[in-house]
Formats: sequence, structure tokens, C-alpha cells
Amino acid sequence: MELYELNLHFLLEGLKAKKFSASEIFQSCKRRIDECEGNIHAFITRTDDKEPQTENADGILAGIPTVLKDNLCTKGIRTTAASKILGNWRPPYDATAWKYLREAGAVLMGKVNMDEFAMGNTCGNSAFGPTYNPNDITRVPGGSSGGSAAAVSAGYVPFALGSDTGGSIRQPASFCGVQGLKPTYGMVSRYGLISYGSSLDQIGPFARTVRDLQIIMSVIAKHDPMDSSCFREKNPDFSHKDKVSIKGKRVALVKEFQDFTLDAPIADAMTRTRKILEDEGAIIVEVSLPVVARYAVACYYALAMSEAHTNLERYDGVRYGYTVTDASGVKEMFERVRSYGFGSEVKSRIIAGTCLTEPSRCDEYYVAATKVRTLIAQEFTRAFGETDFILQPVTPSLPSKIGEVDDDEMKGYETDLYTLPVNLAGLPGLSFFTGYAGNLPVGLQLIGPRWSDPELLNAGLILEAHLGTPKIANGGKN
Amino acid sequence: MKLTSEEVNDIALESRLLLTEQELAGAVRYINNFLDMLDRFKELDLQNVEPFSFAEALECPLREDKVNDFSNIQAIFDESEHVDGQFFKVPRIMEE
Repeated sequence: MELYELNLHFLLEGLKAKKFSASEIFQSCKRRIDECEGNIHAFITRTDDKEPQTENADGILAGIPTVLKDNLCTKGIRTTAASKILGNWRPPYDATAWKYLREAGAVLMGKVNMDEFAMGNTCGNSAFGPTYNPNDITRVPGGSSGGSAAAVSAGYVPFALGSDTGGSIRQPASFCGVQGLKPTYGMVSRYGLISYGSSLDQIGPFARTVRDLQIIMSVIAKHDPMDSSCFREKNPDFSHKDKVSIKGKRVALVKEFQDFTLDAPIADAMTRTRKILEDEGAIIVEVSLPVVARYAVACYYALAMSEAHTNLERYDGVRYGYTVTDASGVKEMFERVRSYGFGSEVKSRIIAGTCLTEPSRCDEYYVAATKVRTLIAQEFTRAFGETDFILQPVTPSLPSKIGEVDDDEMKGYETDLYTLPVNLAGLPGLSFFTGYAGNLPVGLQLIGPRWSDPELLNAGLILEAHLGTPKIANGGKN
Repeated sequence: MKLTSEEVNDIALESRLLLTEQELAGAVRYINNFLDMLDRFKELDLQNVEPFSFAEALECPLREDKVNDFSNIQAIFDESEHVDGQFFKVPRIMEE
């Protein structure tokens, strides 16, 4: 077995026992990247041309390679958000989540692909071209954090960071066959994350085991005064290596989702997972989320686009990124920079957000959406009075073929129904691996109340013990 | 159709975006489909519902109001082609 095939906790144990060195891990991961990257295209910027030195040889992640989604700022290293408008921008500071990993000893192999400004769910909407699913390179890896999921799945690195605004960690984790956690909003600092929808964005980890997610969360879930939405209580405890029984815990299925059509392997996975939970002593119940089922998609996109239009106003070509130097006035400069720099999906969302927040339409659309969000959050609060967790799919279907696009974007948005309500209510959601349908992995999702991330990962450990862990994807090599 | 091509183009210009004919046609279809989706909100009585906020966010954390040094100022200027001394320089704002 090659070192790149080892999951994070085995690498840490091996390092501690001096079975191998950090340098050997780096060389093994680098060889794996060289071998597969021509097929996968996960990277936007590689930083592994020479072996990076760990900043903390005694840190809990000393010498462990990782990659970051390219919307996380890295001091002096190009950060693009997969957009032409940021050009070759090198941030003057690190995102806090990366700073915590760096201080724990992790080393950076590079910055990975995503949908432009995290707007998309295929990782094909990138100015740097698409990333391919390492399990089947004719299919999408999911998005927007497709590069992070693909890198972990293909064995480039044992873990990665991504961000999730409406499913952008959970959906690619499911499509690529890895474990992914969208933490509670406020659990991980967003400082240094390039904003899309600030009230919805959350940074989180990908890894090949739930235990590995626990290790990463124990490093990045710390208070940061630079993010006012970051929690201020004591640090949560992710240290439980041993599973705590879920006997007597209630796990709910959503009544309104039962009539929706799922691809057969996903429906089968729901049945198998339910049986595992029952065998472990959990009680299966049903909760009703009628407002979520009917209004969450419209509410989410109204808010995400309104926030995106405001956040993306800052790209004007003056202080960083793509620019022009021969404009006759500031209006011409802004128009030329933004019209060339943003891709079509981003432009459409900016225009939609501008439209929804104009004074003549603001009450009818934006303010209404903020009120619908209140109803959705209240509905989840009521539901979590009746259950401890909610079990549901991540998506209704397996990953589509590259280039398959639905001309009706609104129909495409409806497929996000299982993921985006979690962001609206600020909840944690775990996308966990359940097995394979042919060569394609199948994931499901477990959701908990706010701040229940440690308990959610514990439940994930129990499921993983029955469902197994994913194998390294073939990376396009047959 | 809720918005005409001309209205969508005006909104794009407010956002400082110049659209090609093809982009404009796509944006008109996109926005109108999207607004149709949002019509669902009219089914709900939102009169007495408060806009959303996270319960924990009711108290806004404040930092001391003092200037902190940023040690990497040159790195910020290095990223811009519009620097004049310690300032960013932009083209004229007032129209002729």
C-alpha cells in the first residue's frame, strides 16, 4: 500500500510511531497528483514544486499535506475564486481556518478548483475549466467545492477544506465518495473566505473517514475575533475517538420528502441506513417541514443572490485583480472590468440580486425572503423538539455527465432542496458515504440542531462502522 | 413576463455590467423565471413575521475603537496597478 492511500488518522499514528516520515508522505502524495492530475484537473494553483516545510513539527497535523478551495485566502499565494476578475491576486493575509491548520503543522499542496465565486453545483462553472470526477471522469465531481472533494477522493491529500453556502461541501462529497461536514454557521471562522452569501457561507472539511473530520474540526473550530458571527463559548469537544451509542436517539425522515423521486441507489441507501440506525437502537420518527419543502428553494436563491450582488460590488479593478489602465472615467473602468471579469452565471446572479433589492421591489422579494427564512428556521426548531437528527438524501440523483446542462436553471435549482435549507437555518449537515452503485459512490445526509456538530460526527462514526469507508478513486486510470 | 429586455439592461447597467445581446437574452429569461418562482411567497401571510436573524447574533460583539497596524501594507499596494504613493488612484469621477 502506498502512503497516499492512508487515511489521516493512520498517517498520524504512523508518523508518531516513526514508521515513515512527513517527507515520505509528501513525496507519495506528489507522485499521486502527478499521476492523475492530467485526468482530474482539480488544481488551479499547485504549490508542491518543492517540499513545503511544516511550521510546527510538534503540531497535531505536522507535515500532513492538504489543499484548499480557491476562495480561501492564502498569504502571498494566488487566490482566484475561479474567476478572471481576481486575476493573479495574492492576498496579504491568511484565512483564519488555514492559519489554524498551518499552525497545527499542515502543509499546502495547492489551491483547488470550484465554481466561480462558489456559484454552481458541478465545478464546471470555473474560469479555469472543469474538474472531473475521480471515480468516473465522464462525470461531474459536484460543486462548488468540486476540486476539494476530487483531491481527497483521488488520494492527492488525506483532507481538504471547502465552503458550503447551499450544499457546496455536502453535494461534491457525495458525488466523489468522501465524507464532508458543513458545520453549524458560526462554528468555523469565515475570516478570509471570499464572500458569496455571508449569512449562509460556512467553511468545512472533507476527508475519507468521519474520524478524520473530527480531527480537522478540533483544529479549525475555534473562536476568532475577526469574525463577529463566530461562536464565543468554549471550544467544542471533537476529541471522542470512541463511538457513543445512539440507542434511544430519534432520527427523523421528512414527511414531505417521501413522495419525491430518488435514483434507485439513493433510495436503496436510505432503506439500508434506516435499518442500521434501527439495529443500533435509534428510533425512527417522522417530522413535517411543509414550509421548507415548498419555499426553501425560492427563499434561498432570493437571499443568496441579494447578498452576492452586495458582496461582489467590491470588484472594481482598483485595488486588486483584473483591471484596465486606459479608461476615460471611473464608470467606464468599472463596466469594462466587471463585464470582462465575471462569468455569465455570476452576472445573472448579480443582476437578479440587484433587481430583488431595488427600493421598488425590496419588500416584495428580499424582505419577504428574510421573513420566509424565519418561518423555515422556526420549523426546524420545532422539528428538533421531536427528533435528534434528520436523515435525508444529499441529492435526488447520482452525478451527471460532464456537459449535461438543464436549460431551465430553476429546475436545476430545485435539486438543491435537500441541502440548502440547512444553510438557511444555520444547521450542521454531514454528507456520509454509504457504498457504490457500479463505480459511482452514493452519499446521504444527516442533519442536527445548531451546535450539535460533535454529536452529528459521533452518529457518523456509528454509520461508518456499518457502511465502511470509501476506497481511493481510480483517478481516471483504468 | 415581468421585466422587459430594456428593464433588465437598465438593472445590469446599475450593476456596472455591459451585456452582449446573447447575455441579455439569457438574463431576461433567467430573471423572469426566477421572479415567477418567487411568486410563491404571496401564498404566505408574512404580515407579523420578523425578518430572520440568528438568535445568538442579537448582541453585536464590539472591538475597541482604535487603529491597529497592518504590517503587510506593501503587499496590498503590490497587487494594484493604480497606486500613487500611499494612495489608490482612480479615473475622474465627475463627468465632463
